[in-house]
Amino acid sequence: MTMSRHPLPSRYILFVLLTGGIILGTLPLFGLEGYRLRLLSLVFMWVALAGCWNMMSGYTGYIDFGPVAYFGVGSYGTAILMIKGGLPFFLSVFLSGWICAGLSLAVGLPTLRLQGAYFAIATFAAAEAMKQVILEWDGVAGLEFFGGAHGLTLPPAPPEVFFYYVLLFFMGLIVGLTALLERSKFGYGLRAIREAEQAAELSGVPTLGIKVRAYVLASSLIGCIGGVEAYWLTYIIPDDVFNVMRTIQMITMTLLGGMGTVLGPVIGASFLTLISEYLGAKFVYDYLIFVGGVIVIVILLLPQGIMGTVLRKKGWSR
Amino acid sequence: MESVTLLECRRVTKRFGALAAVRDFSFSLRAGEILGLIGPNGSGKTTLFNVIVGIHSPDGGEVLYRGKSIAHLPPHEICRRGIAKTSQIIQPFSNLKVFENVLVAALYGRNLAMRQAQEETERILMSVGLDGLRDDPAGKIPFPLRRRLELGRALATGAEVLLLDEVMAGLTPAGVEEALEILKKIRTQGRTLILVEHVMRAVMGISERIIVLNHGEKIAEGAPEEVARNPEVINAYLGKRYA
Repeated sequence: MTMSRHPLPSRYILFVLLTGGIILGTLPLFGLEGYRLRLLSLVFMWVALAGCWNMMSGYTGYIDFGPVAYFGVGSYGTAILMIKGGLPFFLSVFLSGWICAGLSLAVGLPTLRLQGAYFAIATFAAAEAMKQVILEWDGVAGLEFFGGAHGLTLPPAPPEVFFYYVLLFFMGLIVGLTALLERSKFGYGLRAIREAEQAAELSGVPTLGIKVRAYVLASSLIGCIGGVEAYWLTYIIPDDVFNVMRTIQMITMTLLGGMGTVLGPVIGASFLTLISEYLGAKFVYDYLIFVGGVIVIVILLLPQGIMGTVLRKKGWSR
Repeated sequence: MESVTLLECRRVTKRFGALAAVRDFSFSLRAGEILGLIGPNGSGKTTLFNVIVGIHSPDGGEVLYRGKSIAHLPPHEICRRGIAKTSQIIQPFSNLKVFENVLVAALYGRNLAMRQAQEETERILMSVGLDGLRDDPAGKIPFPLRRRLELGRALATGAEVLLLDEVMAGLTPAGVEEALEILKKIRTQGRTLILVEHVMRAVMGISERIIVLNHGEKIAEGAPEEVARNPEVINAYLGKRYA
């Protein structure tokens, strides 16, 4: 077998991306609607979110335990820009992404000097802190802005199919970016950090700089997706958009699919979203027990994740 | 022969708590030479290397490269200016291929674009004799070859000055012989080397000048034969009885 110098043959990925995009893009024209359309949109959203987490944590090995901070800030940013600023949706999402970029730069610069568990704890704390700020702001400042625990209501949303395409776009963007990253200089720098950070630094890799860049990129994209979901649901509260379960889902999905692989988050997020939905319909009250069981079984059988195991079997290192 | 001073330490001190691991150490390195740095365990050799490449900041003194102070720069910046180090405890990028290990150094250390970095990597792998293992994960190749990979990575950064911390440790006599051949070849490519080594025969044979460290201080400097006869050196290594 001839081995590729790259982690995955590029034509293979391009082919999967393009065919996948075309098929998914034309599905609504052939009668996909209602529950199924909504479910697929949800899958896209989780693939995109897990993909963002993978871009940062999967490639650098720095476990970000607070990505939900940017999801929440993106949701609130978009909501406020639309309600109070009267700005159009796309512009609000775009600006929310930039707000998250600034915020994640401020969080990332000090915390990405920490290593291992300390980074995870710091990001977890940052996410909880942001939630509290939004919850308590109105009470402390004595004015109506974030709406406290009651949350905010956004303008009425367009039809479901609008969100299907917006989320498909974000999923494509993030999977595509990850595929580019795999073979780029930036991607090699990130993986070198994961493997041996000091050796990377001694080989000329500006480790802090590129960790921060990956963190800011992932965080601002998560913020954009938060904004999309806010408009989709039209009603947001801090307990939901800053819910730590969202962080845990991004991590679990990526681990299931395979950290540091292009298709890992795609497979992990699709698998977990669909199986939760299926089991949720069958066992309304105790489906999470079964979901937990499935996760345990997969991780025991495939410790490298689904994609990680496939790549290893095929002889492509990750 | 007129030669340029590349690297210079002026009264460098590095303390860990109350212990001065390196004390008032000065030396200069001329372009193209091979300098051997020896001394008993714990004499400060590795600490000195770590100060030069920026892993530690010195508590006193100056480190100059081509006349400019580099003492408080981050390691990646020092690497890009032209000083690379191999570590005594090797740190390969284990899950990356041998090729990719060297590629990272070519991409970032020399700041090359992908295509040029790949070509450079091919060349380096040939010169350290690892081209046959290019697609193996670095964590899976035999230990002596991992040392060679570490050397290849340092070479790929394009550094003029290479600090080699025990590149021959744990090698068989035949392996040492091979390593010496590679070092001689590297030197003809216009690189300047500092070797920290415990294999005395090797370091004495290849170095033009030797510096001896003991308890963080320089106790001798000179040509290999001179240093070997120096009573203070014999004392440090073997004890007073033999001096």
